[in-house]
Amino acid sequence: MTPHAPIPTRPGLPRWALGLTVFVFLVGAVYLGSNLSGTNPPIAGGPSASPGAGGGSAAALAIINQAGCKACHGPDLAGVPPTFPDLHGLQGGPTVDNLKQLGQQHPKDWMNVWIAGTDPSVSNAAMRKGMPAFGGPPYNLTPRQIDTIVKYLLSLK
Amino acid sequence: MTRKLRPYDQPPRRKRTLIPSAPDSAAGLFLVVAILWLLAAAGLGILAVGTRLFPDLLKVSFSVPLGSGIEVDITRTTIDPAFVDALVFGWLTNAAFAAIFFVTPRLTGTRLKSDAVANMGLAAWNLALAAGITLLYVKGASGLGSLAEFPLPVKGLAVLGLVAVNGAFWRTMLPIRELPYVSFLYFGISLLALLGLFALSAIPGVISLGSTNDQLLWAFTARGIVTYWVLGSTLGALYYVIPRVTRNPLYSGGLAFLGFFGWLAFAGLSAIGALVDPSVPYVITSLGQAGTLLLLAPTFLALANLLATMSGRWSLIFSPGTIQFAVAGVAFLFVTAMLESVGALRSVQRLTAGTDWGLGVLVLGLFGGSTLAFYAFADHALPRILRRAWSEGFLVHGQLWTAFAGAALAGFAMIGGGLVQGSLLAQGGTPDQLNLTLLAFRAAAAAGLSLIALGGFTLLVNVFLLYTEGRPAEYAVPSVDAASAAVAGR
Repeated sequence: MTPHAPIPTRPGLPRWALGLTVFVFLVGAVYLGSNLSGTNPPIAGGPSASPGAGGGSAAALAIINQAGCKACHGPDLAGVPPTFPDLHGLQGGPTVDNLKQLGQQHPKDWMNVWIAGTDPSVSNAAMRKGMPAFGGPPYNLTPRQIDTIVKYLLSLK
Repeated sequence: MTRKLRPYDQPPRRKRTLIPSAPDSAAGLFLVVAILWLLAAAGLGILAVGTRLFPDLLKVSFSVPLGSGIEVDITRTTIDPAFVDALVFGWLTNAAFAAIFFVTPRLTGTRLKSDAVANMGLAAWNLALAAGITLLYVKGASGLGSLAEFPLPVKGLAVLGLVAVNGAFWRTMLPIRELPYVSFLYFGISLLALLGLFALSAIPGVISLGSTNDQLLWAFTARGIVTYWVLGSTLGALYYVIPRVTRNPLYSGGLAFLGFFGWLAFAGLSAIGALVDPSVPYVITSLGQAGTLLLLAPTFLALANLLATMSGRWSLIFSPGTIQFAVAGVAFLFVTAMLESVGALRSVQRLTAGTDWGLGVLVLGLFGGSTLAFYAFADHALPRILRRAWSEGFLVHGQLWTAFAGAALAGFAMIGGGLVQGSLLAQGGTPDQLNLTLLAFRAAAAAGLSLIALGGFTLLVNVFLLYTEGRPAEYAVPSVDAASAAVAGR
């Protein structure tokens, strides 16, 4: 092993260093002062979160592509009858029998509950018939991402 | 005729222990393992970009007929975290551990207590990491998000490894009574931070705090690991390598301590800036993001201190080796710090959220700054560990330029692509339009990551040639008297 020798250090502190530190502090203080009130967006979920945390059809399609919805519901989300339902025309509520009761219990957000799949009332394997629970691992879609998908699906006629 | 020795004339056989405990064994083993992880990380990085270029082609799912069946899922969702984990916890963490165990005995004058414990830490940490990354591909086995979302038993093994590494370091350091050199300050705090943050990230595996709070905790620990552990260990390594190789005293002790205390405070604030959710008070997130802005100051002070230390020895940049790697690393670190500060602004975040920008800045900082800094360390340390001299060949040049060009190409391509992506998303662009526009950026990023992988492979070949064909060499360090004279004379 190479022998021990300390690394000598010159004493003192350059004045410019103090000036720079004070300047950066001021910049930080100005930034903080101009961002005291507001609302944060929902957490995106880390590096593996799908793109498009904002809204819009592009964002929704990006999430849909990454989650793999088209693998079952078809490239145009028209479904593969009778196993995988058509995702068009859902404005009036669920179109399949196993979700009719869910639609009655959650008239405004039945799609959100169904896609997330983490609620005990919809996590039963027999009810889900292979539909993944996208709100849980490994997809971990956030409520905002699911909301983006739902808004897009409701636009499909 | 040679007389055969009788049994009681033979010298006693050396007992070989299962766990290596020779001086520098920990540093050497950590460095070799780190290089292997670098190759893995670069390969995963190429796959990560590939899933963006060909999302349907590189989506693989299959079942392994074991027990009730194990479903394996290889998609962008599983490759991205594997890439980041292999890069940060595999290559950079192992290289940082190697730097810590190489530097500690040489600056303290005390042999490491003990190399065997450090090697046990190596085994535990790397086994846990390999298991954790493998399980990322098994459906339902682990969460998918930011750093450190491994199943609890895997995390437990990794924490044991970190405890062993911390134990070996602190047992050596604590008896030292004099003020430690600045590298030890960075190493000590960053080791404790890594252990604490990694253990903290295990909490959701024991008690779920709710889906959103779990994600917030993971985001906080991931950010903290990058700002405390990665940045801290990188600066600690550079603070050793540059003064040692240039044989100059450190430019300013005051500057070093000012930078250290600034980093200590603002790295933590920066981690708070990752807590972005409506449940978190806006002012808290803003404070954290101000911390990211402020982190530019201690980073710049440290880098300026290191560059000023090279005064009178700038000609070393024109020779292949340690200083070339170190200066390139310093340059990347500075650019990354600037981009991180800009990226902390909310207006920029609104544009870049969910795009490749974040990954690009990560690639620039980790593959550029930290990787080149640890290349500098490896270039300095390996001949001293193996007691052999590097050969004068084009492979050393090749290693530098492939790493430099690769990190720059991949990082800036992803950053540029991220800005374009954010802009198109804001305008409501279709996925086809997005993919077509970003094709060139992603192809460039893939090429950059391929160059980085080539650089890693070159390093592996260099190490192999050093071990097998390097000429024996004994290395001396500059005498304390000469260095003190240099301090007094200026």
